[in-house]
Amino acid sequence: MSEEDKIKQQLTDRFNFLADKVTIKRARRLFMEVSMDKFRDVFDHAIKSLNFSMLTTITGLDEGDKFGLIYHLASESGIMLNIKTSIPKDDPILQTVTGYFPSAEMYEREMADLLGINVKGLPAGNRYPLPDDWPADQYPLRKGWKSDVLDKKENR
Amino acid sequence: MAEEKEFRIPIGPQHPALKEPVSFSLALRGEKIMGVDVRLGYNHRGIEKACEERTYIQDVYLVERICGICSHTHSTCFVQAVEEIAGLDVPKRALYIRTLVAELERVHSHLLWLGVAGHEIGFDTLLMFTWRDREVVMDILAMLTGNRVNYGINTIGGVRRDIRAEDIKGILKAMDILEERTKYYIEVATQETTIIQRLSGVGILLKEDAIKLGAVGPTARASGVARDIRRDDPYAAYAEMDFNVITDDHNDVFGRAVVRLKELLESYKMIRQSVGNLPEGPIAVKAPRKIPAGEAVSRYEAPRGEDMHYVKANGTDRPERVKVRAPTLANVQAVRHMLRDRYLADMPIVVAAIDPCFSCTDRLVSIRDMDKGRTDIIEWSDLRDYSIGWYKRRGVDFSKMGKMK
Amino acid sequence: MKVIDKIVNWSRLKSPWVLHFNTGACNACDIEIVAALTPRYDLERFGVLLKATPRHADILLCSGPVTRQIEDRLIRIYEQMAEPKFVVAVGTCACSGGVFDGCYNVKGGIDTAIPVSAYIPGCPASPKAIMDGVVKLLQSLEAK
Repeated sequence: MSEEDKIKQQLTDRFNFLADKVTIKRARRLFMEVSMDKFRDVFDHAIKSLNFSMLTTITGLDEGDKFGLIYHLASESGIMLNIKTSIPKDDPILQTVTGYFPSAEMYEREMADLLGINVKGLPAGNRYPLPDDWPADQYPLRKGWKSDVLDKKENR
Repeated sequence: MAEEKEFRIPIGPQHPALKEPVSFSLALRGEKIMGVDVRLGYNHRGIEKACEERTYIQDVYLVERICGICSHTHSTCFVQAVEEIAGLDVPKRALYIRTLVAELERVHSHLLWLGVAGHEIGFDTLLMFTWRDREVVMDILAMLTGNRVNYGINTIGGVRRDIRAEDIKGILKAMDILEERTKYYIEVATQETTIIQRLSGVGILLKEDAIKLGAVGPTARASGVARDIRRDDPYAAYAEMDFNVITDDHNDVFGRAVVRLKELLESYKMIRQSVGNLPEGPIAVKAPRKIPAGEAVSRYEAPRGEDMHYVKANGTDRPERVKVRAPTLANVQAVRHMLRDRYLADMPIVVAAIDPCFSCTDRLVSIRDMDKGRTDIIEWSDLRDYSIGWYKRRGVDFSKMGKMK
Repeated sequence: MKVIDKIVNWSRLKSPWVLHFNTGACNACDIEIVAALTPRYDLERFGVLLKATPRHADILLCSGPVTRQIEDRLIRIYEQMAEPKFVVAVGTCACSGGVFDGCYNVKGGIDTAIPVSAYIPGCPASPKAIMDGVVKLLQSLEAK
């Protein structure tokens, strides 16, 4: 059994709701989908029991009525576990994972700035990456957002 | 009077009230940094959004210009993700050429870093020498790809230009020259007391902290963390390359310099291997204009550490989503940790030692003096001068060093 | 031209003081500007001296496109320079916004914020092109 197969087996054994939700796309690439209410348990397990010691980044996606979130975890042996979950766009609240990975701070701030996701529990700090005078309620990475909105606001 | 001036943090002509992009804000007590806030985004352009509005081929040229040092890094990382989604079988010859350019890029980047590090500590002679040597690599890159930077060598499905037999001689000769020069730099770095004094014990990052904080690249490897995507998650032709992952256990800036120097020797090895074992065959397969729906994660060991691209395709000729996580962002928490409770004078080289974006050390720094209760904004160049002066008073003076060869 | 103007012009030609300002984009042009100062290209033999403050600079070498966050600072630096002053846009992004034209945080080339005297294209502009551009600017001043 390959390392990837073992990980998949351990995940589906531990969490039966993951039964057909874990895919091995190719060597060193596992993808899985989990609902937000179950996300924390799976995330915790992956880190504490499956040796995923690195959070490479978090990708936020605008998926229409919801935001998709992919937590890209990696092990020291080079295997990636990409955990996909989602939150509703009309109430986009996310709990921070900086308690597990301090590096998550920059990745979560990025999603807050560019998509308008409300990340709870972040330590005090500067926004990233948009400038301080960026107009409120303007989230560039949302589908359909156009930058001409900025020019109108600045009376150019 | 001169004595007094040297102990004061220099204040630039800028005023805090005005809009100035600041890269760091520090809380200072006496001469020590109590807290560090990063303020990145000074070069945020909106590239990820632009990727969604352009075709895949246009995006290859766009992402190549995310960073003028790591241009091949981003271009390769991106095409790898797209090729995986499209199920393309990239020819081996193309993978070898990508690897060749990748290692040449690492060489130019590490030599550039050496010069920049020298500049930060007041050792400009090192900048002149290393950047002169770096021109050897720039010439090779220009010969192979047509440009010194932004090589445009990648396309989706392979590479755009082939290596000619007559190029190989020039490459091998360049490797001999650079290997000799690098061995000399290693000798200087490990034997010159001025350098050892200046860089040792500075920017401490213990192994467990490097892991916990998610450090990557030479920054992690100099703390004994053997993370290297070329070995851990091989891409291009690295699975067929014979090389060592260089680690060091100094846990400081000196270690980071040693790791980069020794990595140069490994790069010369791999460059020789890639031209020596260059497979025959085509240099690209045809790629469809519309990429079928799918997603992929691509990783690449940039000179600074792990670069990662996530691409989601939706069946059109434009990506649904492109996410880029450049290596420097992964090292931000490590830098904050390294600076806390350390001397302000150490800041320039500690920041430079993670090999950040070139312009990161050209931005302003805001300093809140906790004793005086005021905040000043200063130029990085003034911070550098302060740092060099601070160390000179403690006997670290590069003008007193022996002549370089 | 008055005698005093001719003397000032001559000394500026023989030893122009240059301020390098980068807007912080990809930095390739910045590295080529610094490379132009290293022994192989040696811009200094033309008497070009890099100065740290706008008040002492005759020529502002600008690289990178104008972004929303840098625009104010760029304008302020230009305003701090004493007349006569000249701006050189180094690299395609500085000339026109380059490959970033259309990105939401990019406004365009340097001339969207301040007047530009000379444009040096290239992605990046090579050290040779930079030297050629600076020398051409100096020669055009001599002609005045």
